Amino acid sequence: GATITSYAQSESGPQVSGTVTDASSHTPLPGVTVMAKGSSAGTTTDANGQFTLPVSAGSALIFSYVGYAKKEVQAGSTPLAIDLAPDLQQLSEVVVTGYSEQNRKTLTSAISSVKGDALKDIPAASPDQLLQGKAPGVQVSANSGVPGGGIFIRIRGSNSVNASNDPLYVVDGVFINNTNLIATGLGNQVSANPLADLNPQDIESIEILKDANATAIYGSRGANGVVLITTKRGKAGDKTSITFNTYHALSKAAKQYNLVTGPELAALENERFLNDGGNPAQLPFRSAAAGGRGLPEEQQTYDRLSDVFRTAQTHSYELSAAGGSAKTQFYIGAGYFSQESIARPSAFNRFSLRVNLDNSVTDKLRIGTSTALARTHRNVSSNDNNPVGVINSALFPRTNLPIYNPDGSYAKYGSFDNHLALINNLNNDAVGTRVISNVYGQYALLKNLTLRSSWSIDFNDMYENNFNNTLILAGQPRGTASSFLSRDITLLNEQTLNYNVNFGENHSLQALVGNTLQQNTFQRTSLAGQQFPGNDLTTIASAATQTGSSSRSQAGLVSFFGKATYSFKERYTADVSVRADASSRFGADNRWGYFPAVGLGWRLGEESFVQDLNIFQELKLRGSIGRTGNQAGISDFASLGLVQGGANYLDLPGTAPLQLANPNLSWESTQQWNVGLDAAVLQNHLVLELNYYDKYTSGLLLNVPVPRKTGFSSVVENFGAVSNKGIEVQLTANWLPKTTAVQWSTSFNVARNVNKIEKLAAPITTGSRDIFRLEEGAPLYSFWLYKQTGVSRENGDAQYEDVNGDGRITVADRKLVGNAWPNYFGGVTNSVNYKGLDFGFTLNFEQGAKIMNMNRFFLVHGGTQSNIGYLSEQLQRWQKPGDVTDIPRLTSVASSNNYGGVVQNLSDRYLEDGSFLRVRTLTLGYSLPKETIASVHLSSLRVYVQAANLFTFTPYSGLDPEVNSQSGVSNTKNFDWATVPQPRTVQVGVTVGL
Amino acid sequence: CDNLLEPTPAQQLPADKAITDAGSARAAAIGAYDQVQAYYRLNWPVLGFLPGENVRFNGTLNQFLQIDQNQLSADNVLITEAWTQMYQAVNSANNLIAALPGISDPLLPAAEKNQLLGEVHFLRALVYFDLGRGWGGVPLVLTPTRTKENGQGLRRSTLAQTYDQVLADLTQAETLLPDGATRNRAVKATARALRARLHLYRQQWAPAETYATQVIASSNYRLVTPYRAFSTAPFLSQESVFELSFSNSDANTMWNNWFPSALGGQFNFQPVPAAIAQLNDPAVGGTRSALLASTVIAGANVTYGNLYSRSAQRDDPSYVLRLAEQYLIRAEARARLGKLTDAIADLNAVRARAGLSPTAATTADQLLLAIENERKIEFAFESDRWFDLVRSGRAGEVLGVTDQRRWLFPIPFNDLVADRDLEQNPGY
Repeated sequence: GATITSYAQSESGPQVSGTVTDASSHTPLPGVTVMAKGSSAGTTTDANGQFTLPVSAGSALIFSYVGYAKKEVQAGSTPLAIDLAPDLQQLSEVVVTGYSEQNRKTLTSAISSVKGDALKDIPAASPDQLLQGKAPGVQVSANSGVPGGGIFIRIRGSNSVNASNDPLYVVDGVFINNTNLIATGLGNQVSANPLADLNPQDIESIEILKDANATAIYGSRGANGVVLITTKRGKAGDKTSITFNTYHALSKAAKQYNLVTGPELAALENERFLNDGGNPAQLPFRSAAAGGRGLPEEQQTYDRLSDVFRTAQTHSYELSAAGGSAKTQFYIGAGYFSQESIARPSAFNRFSLRVNLDNSVTDKLRIGTSTALARTHRNVSSNDNNPVGVINSALFPRTNLPIYNPDGSYAKYGSFDNHLALINNLNNDAVGTRVISNVYGQYALLKNLTLRSSWSIDFNDMYENNFNNTLILAGQPRGTASSFLSRDITLLNEQTLNYNVNFGENHSLQALVGNTLQQNTFQRTSLAGQQFPGNDLTTIASAATQTGSSSRSQAGLVSFFGKATYSFKERYTADVSVRADASSRFGADNRWGYFPAVGLGWRLGEESFVQDLNIFQELKLRGSIGRTGNQAGISDFASLGLVQGGANYLDLPGTAPLQLANPNLSWESTQQWNVGLDAAVLQNHLVLELNYYDKYTSGLLLNVPVPRKTGFSSVVENFGAVSNKGIEVQLTANWLPKTTAVQWSTSFNVARNVNKIEKLAAPITTGSRDIFRLEEGAPLYSFWLYKQTGVSRENGDAQYEDVNGDGRITVADRKLVGNAWPNYFGGVTNSVNYKGLDFGFTLNFEQGAKIMNMNRFFLVHGGTQSNIGYLSEQLQRWQKPGDVTDIPRLTSVASSNNYGGVVQNLSDRYLEDGSFLRVRTLTLGYSLPKETIASVHLSSLRVYVQAANLFTFTPYSGLDPEVNSQSGVSNTKNFDWATVPQPRTVQVGVTVGL
Repeated sequence: CDNLLEPTPAQQLPADKAITDAGSARAAAIGAYDQVQAYYRLNWPVLGFLPGENVRFNGTLNQFLQIDQNQLSADNVLITEAWTQMYQAVNSANNLIAALPGISDPLLPAAEKNQLLGEVHFLRALVYFDLGRGWGGVPLVLTPTRTKENGQGLRRSTLAQTYDQVLADLTQAETLLPDGATRNRAVKATARALRARLHLYRQQWAPAETYATQVIASSNYRLVTPYRAFSTAPFLSQESVFELSFSNSDANTMWNNWFPSALGGQFNFQPVPAAIAQLNDPAVGGTRSALLASTVIAGANVTYGNLYSRSAQRDDPSYVLRLAEQYLIRAEARARLGKLTDAIADLNAVRARAGLSPTAATTADQLLLAIENERKIEFAFESDRWFDLVRSGRAGEVLGVTDQRRWLFPIPFNDLVADRDLEQNPGY
């Protein structure tokens, strides 16, 4: 409360002055609105939280500030000391928006916030993965269980075919790169997620900007949504708080591939041989005496998979200090995180440091920095589309074949390497260095007018060194090595001018204008060496043949932007924003793009006719419409007709046409409207947020197929359109009053997105075996396969739908048989606190997405693949007339189309329902009573156990429904091919406050 | 801002400034070779030998399996890739053919200008010849592409028109090219050798004989012994009329498809037992048994194809035109023309080099079959057998591909959709 002390009146008339601070941290609060009740006199506090108002003592003053409960004080003698308490109501929390902050009450946009507390302690390397199931409309799935690997993240669906669909990430105002820099070929998987360079423990909150009103201020980079990551900062207080946090986890694969035994394999092979018309006396598996490979029952079974999958360890240590004086606040943190993959030999570790500093130089000038440094180390190995991948080399070879040759050397079969050779010899290191830093100065030109200038760098560096010795196939014949140095640097300069004012009690206006200049440079140098003197000399310097290459590319972006929010009585709010961007990637005439948006909010709950109902504690209607753009994912020089060097012959330099010019190339543009409803009922026990959106993206940056007779296969054009429409629901229940000893809350969210390609020049096929196909009228990520109608009970041959009815099966009978989009997806977060005990769980689910199970595609091959074994499912094949099954009889005869032939095994029998419900985390923690630990000079101590991915309920037959092994190939998803599954993890942790 | 908004590409050139002087013209010619090399590196040899009966596919990729089983579908990605690469090579050649006459650079003497022009005419002839024997008549694009509208309305020509264009280019090339014995770039004899093959495919026996004779008569070429010598480093043997060279920095990893995994390969292409038996038969394969090698894996003897064997140096060439073929072209032409004695002499020249006794064939029919069988062994792992049987109309009899519509490759499904002028071959 206000403290009243003695007061000497000044000469210039009656005045009231004082200081406003945060009730808990006692930090001065700048920018607090101070109004004299019933008059138009008002002011805001300065950088030190101080104010002076020309009213007489005894006047009633109203203090209001975003995120804090409004307070009315009878001004006694000054100076006043006012403590403002944070407003605990969820609906009045502060939301970080583009370039500013806003009270959720007056928000007209669709923005999801996730607090740092909800993210910590999950054993995942990168912060984006932590968003899984937490925010409605935000679909997050790991591409594989490889630590630090790529993540699939889509905010309200996919807008683009060729340009990137990843959101823009902004960390403390720095637009960061999220391009994978690992150059080592690892199948089709994106091997690194650059967001894994951020330590999740440093994060204060993550805001996900979803609708156009929220994202238009980011203009050409906002179309895919924006993820604003705010890291922790110090608060002024009496005492520096030091926190130590550690956890240790063990992970295992929750499920294993089910392969046939050696005898089963031999029986299948004999059956195939007979079905193919082989002579019964010449069965491949007949007694060795008769010249065969031994009878089926004599075959051994070798287990390779157990060598690959291990119990993997995760360790995390984190030490941070936060605090500060009235003038200077700081947060410093250091972390070490190491995680092994459950599939040998991959591993990831990260050292990270962070310094966030803020200093008030004078009353008007404030300066500061957010600086993070990370060093990551990945031991990478290939999988998925690569016969020399570790999982492939254990999964695919036939189980009856020994692992070692009789002489003890590694046995290798077909195109596959030996899994133990790989595990013991793979030597691929990728070391990342990342600096994300921002320094700013902020000057109060006038009381309500602040100028801020900031200078940022995102420096991302990846240094890879690979050596393949002669024991593995990649090292044939005398050792091979490669080295890559890749550097991706973004420089950013930004000015904003902020104007904040309240006219009287009822009107408030927030406005800003700004500009940014941005430059991105990408460079890579690569070296390769062949023929080494031995397996111990591993650097390229030792190679007999050394070759090298380098590349460089650059892009610039110039932007101006502005926005304003006007609010009347915090009841009616209007937002307007616009950004103009110019990109170097487009032709001079089409360089500039303009991205406007408006939003309106009406808090119906404040109207008397609603208040009279006495049902709603909050009821708000929101609506917004706007346009955003996209230019990511195309090459820096996509608009130019180019000829490229490197087309060499006879070691002479050659040139060859690279791409066709398109001087009209311009922005991809997304129009989006959004309507929303926020409501709180039952004394705020139940809080609901609803959104409906409709997005239409046109002028897609598309690789439009051109006739190949031109010498090109495609040209980048603004052609085509994609729409996404959807609904998002978030429901939060606080089951018990705030006053009870037990606190229990549950948050549930679900979203549906309907994606559709509205316009396309010609169908585009993509991915391995052209399994994905983009067609007008269908969603992205649609699978293009032959539709198997059944297996003939009479002869055991597969039957396929003859789509064009011409009586034969040709490629014209391939059709879209499903897609990788879920019908619904979402999550549940539940937490219960009782005294020191906390219990929580999070679930996430997806319903209706299809997965192409390539493991079955390969390993249920009916005998067509002489170097590949079988999954047990092959045993379900048709054997004799009358059998009812969808697995056709074994045969390698092409004309049957059972497993080969025209159909190429591209049957939809391998396309499965990928729905799942997963218990993502389950946590039980205990915080020791303060009195108990005070004796050992601790301020807090919490211990907990947690299980991650404990249960997954799914009809999917593969190891894991969260899979995207072709993540490096655009427009593909839910493709399962020898991919590391999400691990089941048990961890224990402790958090100590000093 | 201008610096920020107009960065210059560091490693590409604007298309309209690509061929302006001697240096850039040379580079563009090299680029055209590179693109022919691209489709000859893997795709074209595979499309020549795998549909035949010497080699089976032993890997996991269905696009190869389809070729092996003569069950191609129009979405076969290898077909699509080859088709794309071939038209890229055509565009490269067209660019230089269009730009060269306009270049006046004292550093580019007329002789070299003619040579470069002759070379790209030859390369364009080679690509259209391959397109013709693979797909039948194809769209004949003869000018460089600047916009995607170029070539609109251009439909497939007939096979005769396609071969006519090949002939026109070869005639030009022969005029422009220098004499000489270069084996990995075109010279006069290279154009003549391809012309002999073109006439053979068109059943124009007399000119086939004439042109083969011009090559055989040249002192620059001879059949080398032993058989393996033409495929032994440093390559470019006297037998070679045209081969596409590779080097460690421009690598050919074809060996990787042939070697068993124990030797570091993937063993995708495996000689079938019948072919192994024939190659190892002293009366049939002779010294051509050198195309095979064997190693012991898990106690068992495994035989593999060894034509491409430079696993460390990665410089195995792609073989395009060899003198042995010129002999067999002439033998066939002469047999057709009733010059049996001469025909037998030509066939025996190839057999003698392989360490075999003279042929027992005496009649024209026997001789033609003997020549066909000789080609099967002589070019066992090169791009020949399938096209040879299709050309002679015997793919049904020999390979069991009785549906004649399957004797042509399908036009890639994706290109049919992108190009309204294109029509699919019947049967796909």
